Amino acid sequence: MREPTSTFTFLGMTFNVSNMVSITLACLLVFILVFALSRHITLKPGKAQNVLEYMVDFTNGIIKSTIPDGKGRQLGLWSFTIFFFILISNLQGLLFHVDVGGVVYVKSPTADPLVTMTLAAMTLLLAQFLGVQRLGYRNHFGNFLKPFKVFFVINFFEEFTNLLTLGLRLYGNIYSGEMLLGMITSAAVKGGLGTSIAMLPVEMVWQGFSVFVGCIQAYVFVTLSSVYISRKIEIEE
Amino acid sequence: MFSFSVVGAQLYVGDMAYIAVSFIILMCLIKLVAWKPVTKMMKDRSDKIANDIDSAEKSRADATKLAEQRQTELASTRQEASTIISEAKQTGQKQSDKIVEDAQNNAASMKVAAEKDIEQQRQEALANSKKDVASLSIEIASKIISKDLNSDDHKALVDSYIEGLGKHNESR
Repeated sequence: MREPTSTFTFLGMTFNVSNMVSITLACLLVFILVFALSRHITLKPGKAQNVLEYMVDFTNGIIKSTIPDGKGRQLGLWSFTIFFFILISNLQGLLFHVDVGGVVYVKSPTADPLVTMTLAAMTLLLAQFLGVQRLGYRNHFGNFLKPFKVFFVINFFEEFTNLLTLGLRLYGNIYSGEMLLGMITSAAVKGGLGTSIAMLPVEMVWQGFSVFVGCIQAYVFVTLSSVYISRKIEIEE
Repeated sequence: MFSFSVVGAQLYVGDMAYIAVSFIILMCLIKLVAWKPVTKMMKDRSDKIANDIDSAEKSRADATKLAEQRQTELASTRQEASTIISEAKQTGQKQSDKIVEDAQNNAASMKVAAEKDIEQQRQEALANSKKDVASLSIEIASKIISKDLNSDDHKALVDSYIEGLGKHNESR
């Protein structure tokens, strides 16, 4: 079941307006959050700075726990940005749902497979890039042949399965959450007053669960990404 | 990517480009606005804390050293004070002994001098009284003699009397 979309073509590329609006909104929300928290940065931290530093420590901690020996220090910014972008994206659809003429304009960007697959592809490209940067072409592509040359096939296809699992896990969780939320809402609206009142706790419970899932999935995405990267930046035995 | 054929949707390349570009822009903005200052501040803070710990360690060591120094100084001062006190005691004892000895010596010499003085005065008084007796006797005698001067018998009598008197005086 695919909802109707409004698209336009520019420079031979097809754009989905609702995705663009959602992505832009998510980016703006993340930026506003971080901008608001990063005012008045002092040696003795204030409340906002403490929150921001906790966030930074949290994402740095994900990197540190999966990539040992401080090799992932330069990934701090990437993990911070992608974690909070995905987190805000996941929660955005629970807060806003703007529907104009049957076309949903504002929703979770991560409820679209294209967005999650793009994020996953960017992550895995980053992993490949860092692998080449740290090990050199020879060692990086040599890793595909380990432990035996036959494993090349498995290792090669693993890259694509990584892409699919990383992208589709996020998409599936968020999309199903939003879809069920939408179904509960439509049932509540169509069913009359009694059904609406009965559906209110169900909706609240599911919304809470979706928030939980959204946070977990953002964490899982960053953790798995850094695991993939950590496997790329060291020579396999 | 094969999933889209399952869903039956079109592959929107524009969306992919848009999400990639907007993500990179977001990352750059966050780096500019928050990441750099925050990580710099966090590093500064950890440096400062490390420095503070080091300096605290150092000042603690200094304090310990100072306390030890104080302790030794205090002990030496105490010893010095006790030696000074004992010296003063000794000096005082010596002085008091000397004073007593001097006083005794003085008293003894004064006693000797006084005895000598007394003896001398006694002798002088004895001599004076002898002279007085003699002159008195002569006066008595002259008075007697002026009454009966011509008689030689009387003269002999007086002489013998005087002699007897002198002897009597000496024997006393």
